[in-house]
Amino acid sequence: MVIIGGEAGQGIQTVGDLLATVCWKMGLYITVVNDFESRIRGGHSFVQLRISDQPNSAPSDKVHILAALNSKTVELHKGDLSEGGLVLVDGEESTAAGVTAIPFSKIAREVGGKIMTNTVVAGAIMGLLGTPFDIFEELLVKKFGKKSPEILDNNITAAKRGFESIGENSFKNGFTWEKKIPLGLLLTGNKAVALGAVAGDCRFSAFYPMSPGTGIMNALVALTDDFPLVVEQVEDEIAAVNMILGAAYSGVRSMTATSGGGFSLMVEGLGLAGITETPILIVNAQRPGPATGLPTRTGQPDLQFTIHASQDEFPRFVFAPGTPAEAFDLTVKSLHLADKYQVPVVLLTDQYLTDSLFTLDRPLKVPDSIDRFIITDEDLDNPESYERYAFTESGVSPRVLPCNGNALCVASGNEHTPDGHLNEDADNRKRMMDKRNAKLPAMQKEMSAPSGYFEDSDILLVGWGSTQGAIREAVDLLRERGQEVGCLNFTDMWPFPVEHSQRLLGRTKRFIMVEQNSSSQLGLLIREQTGLSFDGTVLKYDGRPFFPIEIVEETLAIIG
Amino acid sequence: MTTTQDFDNDFENKWCPGCGNFGILDSMKKSFSNLGLAPKDVLLISGIGQAAKTPHFLKCNMFHTLHGRALAVATGAKIANHDLTIVVNSGDGDCYGEGGNHFMNAIRRNIDITLLVHNNQVYGLTQGQASPTSKMGFVTKVQKHGVIAEPFNPLTIALNLGAGFVARGFSNNREHTRQLIEDGIKHKGFSLIDIVQPCPTYNKISTHGWYKQRVEDLYENNYVPDDLENALAMAQEWDEKIPIGVYYQKEGPTFTDRIKKLTEGTLIDKKYDAAKLDGYLSVS
Repeated sequence: MVIIGGEAGQGIQTVGDLLATVCWKMGLYITVVNDFESRIRGGHSFVQLRISDQPNSAPSDKVHILAALNSKTVELHKGDLSEGGLVLVDGEESTAAGVTAIPFSKIAREVGGKIMTNTVVAGAIMGLLGTPFDIFEELLVKKFGKKSPEILDNNITAAKRGFESIGENSFKNGFTWEKKIPLGLLLTGNKAVALGAVAGDCRFSAFYPMSPGTGIMNALVALTDDFPLVVEQVEDEIAAVNMILGAAYSGVRSMTATSGGGFSLMVEGLGLAGITETPILIVNAQRPGPATGLPTRTGQPDLQFTIHASQDEFPRFVFAPGTPAEAFDLTVKSLHLADKYQVPVVLLTDQYLTDSLFTLDRPLKVPDSIDRFIITDEDLDNPESYERYAFTESGVSPRVLPCNGNALCVASGNEHTPDGHLNEDADNRKRMMDKRNAKLPAMQKEMSAPSGYFEDSDILLVGWGSTQGAIREAVDLLRERGQEVGCLNFTDMWPFPVEHSQRLLGRTKRFIMVEQNSSSQLGLLIREQTGLSFDGTVLKYDGRPFFPIEIVEETLAIIG
Repeated sequence: MTTTQDFDNDFENKWCPGCGNFGILDSMKKSFSNLGLAPKDVLLISGIGQAAKTPHFLKCNMFHTLHGRALAVATGAKIANHDLTIVVNSGDGDCYGEGGNHFMNAIRRNIDITLLVHNNQVYGLTQGQASPTSKMGFVTKVQKHGVIAEPFNPLTIALNLGAGFVARGFSNNREHTRQLIEDGIKHKGFSLIDIVQPCPTYNKISTHGWYKQRVEDLYENNYVPDDLENALAMAQEWDEKIPIGVYYQKEGPTFTDRIKKLTEGTLIDKKYDAAKLDGYLSVS
């Protein structure tokens, strides 16, 4: 693993992206985790690059190269250095044993300015890893070719000088660099959700900026020129959810993205979608709270909140992808199911999944067609007598769009009779609640079982969402140590997949919850829904993603 | 052609006898049929309050939403399909209190919808509390020593934010209100029609008679609504006289005009083309 650290504004993320792209193009697997504070300049930021010839999706605790653009990086991360690991610092001479000084900023100034420092650093790291330089050069041409020839030349020179600055060295953890076609894209969770949104025919999105949800909107905005998609930054999150409700009612698939605080503001709108049976998608990119909490950090604190959010009860779907590939698929699925059942859907991601860059191990598949589950006058014997909330066995009433024929679309957030008009009659209220809830059995059948890895083991680690990669790697490490351990990773959270859970958890001797919140929210949900109790917890809620080794050590302490 | 009867429905109306809402409801039906609109052509969107119940009392497409949020919902509905004729029914509490932020931003966007604010300076649905437009000193069960804040002036705010159609009506001048609603719908862009109305149950100050003595019809006076300074001066008037009519009108590009891809047709009518994703999803 490589760590590059420095102050915000020094272009550390750029170095990470350059390295990641080169590795990906050569068929290596890379996970890039950005760790930054809620500030644009200063402070301490670092990027962790896990490079491997095997699939991986979690940061590792073993650091092989530590590139430090400030002294704090050395202080903070030197202890993580593995045997044979190297520390690169910006300077003329080494100040300590095991520290290699390379005049990054001096080289940068010589070839075009301090701004080139990150390219020099990227060059030096690639030198150590033994990357063929022409691959790097190709990438720089792609990245800077459209700018002035001078900028491109300077970057290539900076890269070359960095590459050569390494000279003879004892670094043993390079790669063989045989070009292989990657199995999947190099993608952040943000971009995966945005691509899934257009693949799922999302046409409108309104949002208010809030980390880490903003990244999803940035990724979506980047697609607006190529797709029938309008994205609008609006006055607040309340406007955002209500605008997508209006657009969805009008007939286009619509979504918004936010984080816990913004989601809190959207909750009344979520309820409006529930009672008016309007299909919307809200992405809650979780971060630690409450209130402002830790704006740029990660966590899984909102599962119980999300499945219960809003006053009273109504059917909804909640999904929590574990990887960008799953984020893409579940975004497509969410938009489809919202239309099919006329319910709101919440997609729970988190800062780790949305902001980190992952190498996918499979291609992404676009749906063959989009079914909108919308009818028109032609489908009706008597459009004049159409009722938007007609009682049906499935609870799903045929849906027309407003101003699309003689069948009128009458919707109300007040309790209503089948014709959509407000009504307080006791009997009607009960029937309408029962009608909406009648969707639940079919909705539950749409839920996939948690994915398993050595799931027949006597001991299972159980998690949900973005901890998938770290948990699976922890399983590998535990098995290497002779422990019969497997895992289950939930993605389909609500309606809770009760039967799948009973089947998979009922046959194991013990199961341990691995979650990024302080109360084991999924563990409590499993107990509530299946009657099965967890036998221990590995909980991390300091705002940082799991290292697999942390899960290994805490698991060993529990199982003895 | 349509008639006002085409908009009648049999939903039971529970407004108090003498409520100004009856006049507004009547004017709406007349303006729609005068414009040749049928129930299938109209989308009414409302928030919460007695005014926001209006869409239930006539036959049309409707979305009765949340307190304060009608304009946000209407904006989304218009972006999705800008061919829709959208009229929003709101009240002084719904629009200027709970929905104040959306009110300002709908004006900024110049979204092409017509906003009718039923302004009776009091909360009816929640039984008689002061509203944002209540006068200083207005006594209610809650504000028992009288309101101690200045009233919100929707017209000066709208004018200052650059609204392109700012009008005031009086619920009991039904023909006049009908004309205002027609002009508002015909106006290309955001139209604010603040309709002052009596609340016979909770507002014993601004009664039908009180308004009757004060309203002055700008249509009759052949007022030309092209002077912002004049409009701002009229918007300050209340105690002595209340001008009713279009204070100010100026057309400009609407919100959906400014979204380039919507100039070639509505968002809802565009085709889904998955092949365009190939370039983004290809690994090589």
